[in-house]
Parts: sequence; structure tokens; C-alpha cells
Amino acid sequence: MSTLFYILGYLAVAGFFCMAYLKIKSYLASSPLHVRWELYPVPHEGSKTVYGGSFMEEKDWWTKPRHIEHMGDVKALLTEVLFLHATFEHNLKLWVRTYPFHVGMYMLMGGTIVVLFSAIAQILGMNPQGGLMIFVGNIISACVLAGTLCIIVGGISLVMRRRADEGLRRYSTPEHYFNLLIFVLFGVLGLVAWASAPSYFELARTFMYNLITFNFAPQTNVLFAMHLLVGFFLLIWIPMTHMGHVFMKYFTYHDIRWGDEPTNYSTKNQQKIMDALKFNVTWSAEHIAGDGQPKTWVDVATTNPAAPKKED
Amino acid sequence: MKDNLQLKDVSTAEGQMVSIDLKDIPELPVDMHTMPWKPFTDEQKQNTACILDDVCVLNIPMPKNKEEEEELVNKFLNGMRKLFTKENNWTFLPMLETSMDYCAQCNSCSEACHLYEMSGRNEMYRPNFRSEIFRRIYKQYVKKEPLAKWRYGDIGLNWKTVARLGELAYRCNLCRRCAQTCPIGVDNALLAREIRKLFSQELGIYPRELHEKGTINQMKCGSSTGMTPEVVKENVEFIDEDYTEITGIGIHTPFDVQGADIMLLHNAGEVMAWPENIAAFSLIFQEAGLSWTLSSKALAYDGVNYGVFYDDAQTARIALQHMMAAKELGVKKIVIGECGHAHKALTVIADRVIPFEYQVPRESCYVTLHDIVMSGRLKLDPSRNNFPVTLHDPCNIVRLMGIVEPQREIVRKIAPLFREMPCHGVDNYCCGGGSGFAIMTRNNIEQWRGNISGRKKMWQISEAFKDCLGPETRKYICAPCSNCKGQIREVLEHNDLYTKNNFAYGGLVELIVNAMVNVNPGFIKFEGEEE
Ligand code: SF4
Ligand code: SF4
Repeated sequence: MSTLFYILGYLAVAGFFCMAYLKIKSYLASSPLHVRWELYPVPHEGSKTVYGGSFMEEKDWWTKPRHIEHMGDVKALLTEVLFLHATFEHNLKLWVRTYPFHVGMYMLMGGTIVVLFSAIAQILGMNPQGGLMIFVGNIISACVLAGTLCIIVGGISLVMRRRADEGLRRYSTPEHYFNLLIFVLFGVLGLVAWASAPSYFELARTFMYNLITFNFAPQTNVLFAMHLLVGFFLLIWIPMTHMGHVFMKYFTYHDIRWGDEPTNYSTKNQQKIMDALKFNVTWSAEHIAGDGQPKTWVDVATTNPAAPKKED
Repeated sequence: MKDNLQLKDVSTAEGQMVSIDLKDIPELPVDMHTMPWKPFTDEQKQNTACILDDVCVLNIPMPKNKEEEEELVNKFLNGMRKLFTKENNWTFLPMLETSMDYCAQCNSCSEACHLYEMSGRNEMYRPNFRSEIFRRIYKQYVKKEPLAKWRYGDIGLNWKTVARLGELAYRCNLCRRCAQTCPIGVDNALLAREIRKLFSQELGIYPRELHEKGTINQMKCGSSTGMTPEVVKENVEFIDEDYTEITGIGIHTPFDVQGADIMLLHNAGEVMAWPENIAAFSLIFQEAGLSWTLSSKALAYDGVNYGVFYDDAQTARIALQHMMAAKELGVKKIVIGECGHAHKALTVIADRVIPFEYQVPRESCYVTLHDIVMSGRLKLDPSRNNFPVTLHDPCNIVRLMGIVEPQREIVRKIAPLFREMPCHGVDNYCCGGGSGFAIMTRNNIEQWRGNISGRKKMWQISEAFKDCLGPETRKYICAPCSNCKGQIREVLEHNDLYTKNNFAYGGLVELIVNAMVNVNPGFIKFEGEEE
């Protein structure tokens, strides 16, 4: 039983990375190149970013070296991730509910990473009862308390908002409620485990230590074990749902919204256009299919559906 | 008709699904009345699927029997499958897929949409309403995901769903203001365009103004206006003559100058409807001593590319012809005149659709004009523009291309009483004629533009001029985009706002010429000053 528990743990971690990998891979494979579809402001435009300007404001811009301020992109992504800036700006009522929810998750995710390092430190010989470990333990305790409370409060108020707001209710499916409530359950179990055990940190670090060292020792705290089981499920579930935005946001922002690279600066893209234009097109409308023969995009772009039909 | 519209109604409601109550439409500081909807005739109802709201853009033929109903659904599903293959849709697939998968249904986008707001917050106009119908069909009937109904919500799919979805795709100005506010990066405007594309490229269903009278006409005779090369040259000659007289400066618009630096690409609508714009460009370029030319090759005198609004193939075909014409002339760059969608089509979209070797660099006229004005090559007297001026930001050029400041710097320099509208620059609102609406007529489309889509822009304009509304003060609405001008003209005319408020509207070049000291004064005409 105990071994099965650990196996589930390994599967959950592997599942998360596999699913995320597959999603990203399918995104990258879905097109060798997509058209530019940028949306301003684009944050790597330096001083122009403030008002949403672009390199295309410059006369003969294609003759000039390309300036990209990567720090601008990083800053914008961080502001979005850390403060949920867009929701704050455009949907404050939602933000006050979703922000604690997200911060709670960040705290638990951050806490997990700290626990991981603590377990590694323990493997490397650090005394689990030492001063530093106790200090870290206190931080984790505070994090778990605040984090689980944030998830519970945020999750419940999000469910309530989805029920109370007429507009939101129409677009909320059973899965939305399931997703929120499963997080709330995760938080509640974490909170009661925290309250019932002498040290949540000890439980978490020991589990992590066992996981890394393949020591399948049974769990001593049932609530903590249930909390972990729900956590395993969430790890696999998140990438399968719209919550996959946690990593796909990089692409929707960085690649699409800010993807403004002009072709004259990219020989790679010049080649990619040529490759894409060789794809066969199967659209059926008469102005595309014409005589019904399979065509490539090059054929399509170079035919004129309005030209007088050839006499046989 | 439904007050409490649910998504599933698209498949179940009988007849017209929604009607916008004119009482719900917000009032404005300027006297912009609502226009009553004209009821569809019995004949229309019998023959056409006018089953969404009070407007009918696509005129989808009413299926006559079960077979025809099924055929419509099956063709639609076939098209949807193609939309999700990289061979058929490499241009937009990554954006489409992410918009399918990651929407959190948070509704943050709704408040950004002028249509939602100005329809009195009608559910049907939420940016996410059509997206969600499309998404649910995809998950349930194309991808057939397990537990799709539970996970993504159920939707009935029948001919009514298909016909209504097609129409819904034409209740969006494709302005992408909603996309700008989305925390995830989901693009509801893109989805509207993808639906339009599916209908066009697979089912052969499109608004006739965009297709038959638009792109096809352009490919047949050279311009969507119907002007052939001979006619356009003749008309421009007349314009040169007329405006030589008006301005007091000899204007000569060059055509087909081999090896010129610049090929200027106008929206041919200007030649017919706003000749002063053509003349002003010619005058400014001439006075600035540029080496430039127009092309008389078919298509290359009309920057219009309505493909951008509904069809990738048509977009690419037209963009390619524009580039080829410039290549043949051997110019160094194409300068795109005051036309927003021409900017977006040729500069940004064509950048990854046309092989690089066929490309000629493209520059916005705002940038070229900025260089001319700031370099002092023209003698300008700002006091000639001594009336309040406000500036409209065409979505295609501003939010979608990031060209924000050059035009402002010009206006600030030549119009001392310039004032911004609320929500300007990249936060602007569509004029209401975007995505092809400006050129559409019939079936309450004009009413829709006046009642709903153009309303927020008029709110912005009236806010900008709120200290000087009324007939006493002359006011200029600078709208440097042909489609936007068309839309603004219509709203002003219909509400008699020229006389009531002494408005004039026009482009940026007209404002520049109005300030040129060697030009006869009064290039811009205000109401009451016309001969
Ligand atoms: S693109 Fe513009 S008009 Fe269309 S839904 Fe979004 S905000 Fe509304
Ligand atoms: S499109 Fe974006 S803003 Fe609109 S509901 Fe979906 S996630 Fe929210």
C-alpha cells in the first residue's frame, strides 16, 4: 500500500512534465510558423512600450538594427504572473478573489521547492534537527498556513462569484466548479494536516526524502497522505485543463502577442515561409479549389479566381 | 425573443433569436438618435436565415429540407476539421488552438467590447459568446473529447447553430480590444475571423460586399470600386486639375515612374469619395521633393485588401499583387496611404505570407509624413488650424501595429487646439465600421452601425469636444483611415451633426495642407462654408 502511494507520487510528477511537454510540443508542431498577430503594447520596445509604440514608427525601419529589450518582456511576464496585472486592471471584482487563490498556490508551490531542497540537504548530511532546518521549518509552517487559507478563501469566493454573477454563471461548466473545489479540498486537507501534526514541515520533508531515496516508508499522518493524494491528482489534471495556462501563457504572450519579428531580420523565417507555402490545401470553396485539383498555398496565392475561365 | 439568452439557445430558439431593444442603447452627449430596426419581410424570412438578431449580413439561404439542413452542418464540420490542420491553416493555427484550450471563462473581455457595452450589455455581444459556441462544437463534435459536455458545456449542433454562428462572426469589428484585456492571451477577435474564414474558404459563404463586390471585383478589374487603370488615371488627372485651382499650386500626380523611391498605395475609395485626400498627398509629397509614384497596374492603385476580414487566400493573392507591382517599378519602398486595413494586411500579415524575395519594404504614411513635417520641408502655419482637433486611432494601425506617436506629433505641431479623446492610442475604440462594416449596406446593417457599433466612437468624439459642442465652434475630427472616415461620415450625416455641431472630418494630410502657407487658405471645408 505504502509502495503504491509512492508510485502514485512518481507518476504524478512524471505525468505533469509529460503532459506539459506534450502540450508544448503540440503547440510548436501545430505550425512551422504563424503569421504575425502581435498586439500592442509589446513590452520589449523599450521607451516606446510606455505608450504602445513599435519599431514600425521609425522611417525605413528595415534598414536599422533591431532593438529588443528582453528585460521588458521578463518584467511584463513577472508582473502578470506575480500580480495578475491584467485581471487587476480589467476585472477588479474577480481579481480580489482570484489573487488570493493564485497566491495560495504560489506559496504551496514555492514551499514544495524549499522542502525539496531541504530533503536534498538532509541527504547530503545536514542535521534535520539543526537550527537552519528549524528556521526553514518555521517559514514553511507559515507558508502552508497562509497558502492553504488563501486557497480555501479564494477558491470558495470564486465558486460563489461564478454562481452569483449572472454573466459568469452562463459560462461556468461543472468542470469549473470541480476544479475550484478540488483545490479547496487540497487546501482544507493541507490545513487540517498542518493543524493536527506536530510539524507539517517534518512530514513533507520526510516524504520528499523518502521519495528521492526510494524509501517507501508508510505515511504516519492520514490527513497529510490524503492531502498529498489530491495534490498528485492535481499535478496530472492541471495540464489537461484550461489551467494549463500556467505554462502556456509563455507562448500566448511571448510568441503570439509579442511575436513581432519582421522577416527581413530572420533568415530562418524566410525559409519557413517557403516550406509552409508548399503545404497542400484542401479547402472546398470554389474560389480556392477552382478546378478541384489539389493545390499548394503557392498555387492558391498565384491564381486569380476572377480571371476569365479558359475555353476547352 | 429572449431576454435571458443562454448559449444553448443558438440551437433551440425558433426564428429570430434576439432583438436589441432600442431603449437599452445608451444615450450620448451629442444628439445621436437611434434608428428603428426595419423588420425583415416575409419573403426575406422565407428565403434567408435571418435568425440571429435584427441584422443579416451573410444572407445564408434558408435550407429547404432536412437534406439541405444536414448538408450545411456537415460542410461546416468538414471546414472546422480543416481549420485545425496545419496544412490548411498554418497561418493561424497556434493562436486558434490556444484560444480553444485556455480560456478561463472569466469574462474580463466583455467590458472591453464597445458592442457589448453599446448594445445595452446584450449577452449575444459578449466577445466570448460566439467563441464559446465555437469552442463547444469543436470539443464535442470534432475533437470528440471524453466527457466533453461535462467539461466544456453542452451545445446542440444543427443548421440553426451553424447559421447563427456564421452571422455572429459578423457582429464583431475585429478590433481586438478584447484580446488586449485577456489575462491568458485568448483572442476572441481571431476566433471571429476564423469562423468567417471557415465559412468563406469551405462553404463559399461571405458578405457580398467583401467578396463579390470586394476582392473578386478587385481581381477582375483592378479595384474594389470598379475603377479600371484607365479610369483611375483619368480621375486622378481631374483631381490634379481641380485641386490646382483650389490650392493655387500646380499639382501633378505621377504614375508608373520607374525607379522612384516610393510607390504610394492609396485606398481607391479616396479617388471616388475623398479626392481632397489624394490631392493633399500629392501636394505634400511634391512640395517635400520626394521621389514617388502611383502605379496604374491593376490592383496596385488600390491598397484595399478585404481578404483580411474574411479569407486567407484572398488576402495573400491581393498582397502578392501589391508587392509584385512595386517590384516591377523597382521602388525602394511602398508607402501605405490612409487606410488601416491596408496597413495591417501589407505590412504585418504579408510579412509572413509572401516569400521574402517578393517583398518590398513597407512604411506607414504616418511615418513618412512625420519625417516630412518634422524636417521642416514644408512651410506650415499652425494658426491656420486654429480650431479644436481630435484624433481617431484606427485599430489596425495603432493597436495592431504600434504606430501611435508619429501622427500625434504631427497634429500637436500643426493644430494648437488639439485634444485627445478619452481612451486613445492603443486603448482606442473601433470607429464602428471595422472589419468590412463600413462598406456594407442593406438588412439593417446601417442601423446597426449607427445604433451600436459606431456609438462608442461618437461618445469619444463628443467627450473630446465637450467644452465646445454646438454650432458656434468649428471642430475637426482627424480620422486618417478611409474606412473609419466612411463610418464617421455616415454617423455625422445621419444625425445632422455637421450643422448641429459644426464638425468637419477628414484625414491627416488635409490638416497638413490646411496649414501650408503657400496654399490658398481654407483647404478644409466646414459646414456652412461650402459653396
Ligand atoms: S474584437 Fe472588438 S468588436 Fe470584436 S469582440 Fe473583441 S472588442 Fe468586441
Ligand atoms: S477570452 Fe480571456 S478574458 Fe475573455 S473570458 Fe476567456 S480568459 Fe477571460
